[in-house]
Amino acid sequence: MRNLPTICPSCQSQLRVARLVCSECGTAVEGSFPLPLLASLPRDDQQFILDFVKSSGSLKEMARLLGVSYPTVRNRLDEIIARLRAAEEEESA
Amino acid sequence: MTTDAAGESVARPRPALWELLFRPFGYIAGVQSLALGLAAILAAGFLGRLSYTHFDGVLDMHTGRPAPLLAFLCEGLVDWLALSIALFALGRLVSRAAFRPLDLFGTQALARWPTILATLAALAPPYQRLTASISAQLLQPGALAPERTDAILGGLLLFAAVLAIVWMVALMYHSYSLCCNLRGPRGALTFIAALAISEIASKIIILRLLFS
Repeated sequence: MRNLPTICPSCQSQLRVARLVCSECGTAVEGSFPLPLLASLPRDDQQFILDFVKSSGSLKEMARLLGVSYPTVRNRLDEIIARLRAAEEEESA
Repeated sequence: MTTDAAGESVARPRPALWELLFRPFGYIAGVQSLALGLAAILAAGFLGRLSYTHFDGVLDMHTGRPAPLLAFLCEGLVDWLALSIALFALGRLVSRAAFRPLDLFGTQALARWPTILATLAALAPPYQRLTASISAQLLQPGALAPERTDAILGGLLLFAAVLAIVWMVALMYHSYSLCCNLRGPRGALTFIAALAISEIASKIIILRLLFS
């Protein structure tokens, strides 16, 4: 699976969605849409969030799934929260 | 096993040996670490009784003073509690993370496991003969010097015991840094402060309660 590019390779700014295409009939919609906040995170952070939701938000279950200790998972979640907050601030600026 | 966004399985990486030795709390914490840590502290107390090795302070190790078994067992527990309480208080003060006391107390208990190695080093006859000879020389300046082989082997064992204590401190810092999510100067400075406070507190408690 290819990674969704979120940062401009030329000026490092946040990319926006300019064109969406229906895979069935080929209808295209053009405009300037912001990327969802979660899409701005690295892929492994997105995976962590998916696993976290699938394990009903249980850090203990996440620790078991990943084979690491509870504080390791807790710290990882804190890092992701900090990244999300930074992305939110960047978006609102 | 977990899967990635595309539904592909993600292999759980096996921790490297150095990571298990020096950064074990990424893999073990909570009740497990508390149970193993308490067992290690008590084992070090039992072994310490055999060689009269005291951990009469968070960072202290002294040999030669006879005492009842209970004193050896309590020393390790006092050391563990003194440092854990100091780290918990400072961690709550400076960390923004919502950490569980169980993880900090459990991993701090397990961080003391190298004291077992230190007591094993102190049990070895060359170590015993060397420390007995040094004590005799300090008390009577004219006493016999240790034999050369005892001096070399005992010296190596003494060095190994010191390394075990250094290893224990490294594990204690890793536990604090991970459980309270504190790194850099803030983590290091508060850890040193907690070590200093708990060293003084544990020495006073052990001297007053156990040897008064």
